[in-house]
Amino acid sequence: MDNDYFSIDAILAENQKIQCTFKVDIPDMGHLGGGSDRDIKALAKVPVPIWLAYIILYSDWADFTIPAPFGPRVRNALKAEPRSVKLSGLVGAGGLWYGFGKMIMDILGDEQAEQMSDVLTKTFRGRLLEVIDQAQHFAALGPSGGGGPSGDTAQSFREGLDGTERELFALAQESTKRSKRWHEGNDKARR
Amino acid sequence: MALPQPLRTSVTPLELELIASEQLVEIVPLISMEKTAFISGAYGPLRPPAKCRIPLWMATNLKLKKKCHIVPPEWLSVAEFLQERLNRETSQPEFSKLPFRFAEIAKVILDVASDDIQNADKIRSLLKDLREARQAKSRDGLQKLDHSELSLPNLCSMEINEIRPFFVQAMGVLTQLVKEPVADARPDGDY
Repeated sequence: MDNDYFSIDAILAENQKIQCTFKVDIPDMGHLGGGSDRDIKALAKVPVPIWLAYIILYSDWADFTIPAPFGPRVRNALKAEPRSVKLSGLVGAGGLWYGFGKMIMDILGDEQAEQMSDVLTKTFRGRLLEVIDQAQHFAALGPSGGGGPSGDTAQSFREGLDGTERELFALAQESTKRSKRWHEGNDKARR
Repeated sequence: MALPQPLRTSVTPLELELIASEQLVEIVPLISMEKTAFISGAYGPLRPPAKCRIPLWMATNLKLKKKCHIVPPEWLSVAEFLQERLNRETSQPEFSKLPFRFAEIAKVILDVASDDIQNADKIRSLLKDLREARQAKSRDGLQKLDHSELSLPNLCSMEINEIRPFFVQAMGVLTQLVKEPVADARPDGDY
């Protein structure tokens, strides 16, 4: 998720598309839109991945709109209850909602970026506690852990986790499992 | 050899136990031994029934061969001490001061020399309660997670090791998401 050229997280996060409205005509690039047009006309809306969109915006050939995963509807839902939103539904399973948001934040101007960063951090903080709680609970259950504690809510929360949150979940679960195993082990024979 | 992800930023509990075993404990030896040089220092001579201070690893070794009795350290031998700590733990929001490696030392001694401790069961349950109370507090500390710093005073070695991987990762993510008020020289995406 850094601006590191080699960061795999950054590459995956940049794979998301955003809608750009082109300001000028671009001959012979119609295939980017996925349609059968030969050229891109000015004022045409084309979905473009962020890694490409960055250059296009920098060279001032197009403008873009904030994409749906960060639109007002999602923001309101997050403001109300961060844990109930399924982030993986917004960017596809295995997607990186936070990474995507960061890329957009980098492109935006200052004031909008402040808002974005606010939304992102509040959401992250709100969900973090739940992630860790579930991770510690699941460490106790073991690999065959069946239905969650309160069944549905917990399970749907886990399904809605974004890529970064999944990593944190795995880390927390691992370390809790290790500690538990050590605490309960009694290997007198080993000594 | 590549370490699995959770081990890259922390150590295993067994390794912590090994490090903790270097601390000196008092024993009542049952055999005689001359002052012997070991890599970490020279210990002995052992003259029963005089008490002697030797490293924990040596004490457990001798104990398993039934060649000594371990005298548990003051904070472990008197149940009242731990009880008082537990009360303090449950009444105050900060962590109470405990010997840095108390979890490892307590476990080793309880495993190997439980007959040398009075009220071993009571001590075990007190330690468990203590651990849970502190875990609950570190969960609250998670709420205050900030991208710049987090200070949890009086946390002990085992606990630090347990929470380090995901705390560090979470702080890393937050650092990415928080917008620094430095204006980048990028054009605004007009939207």
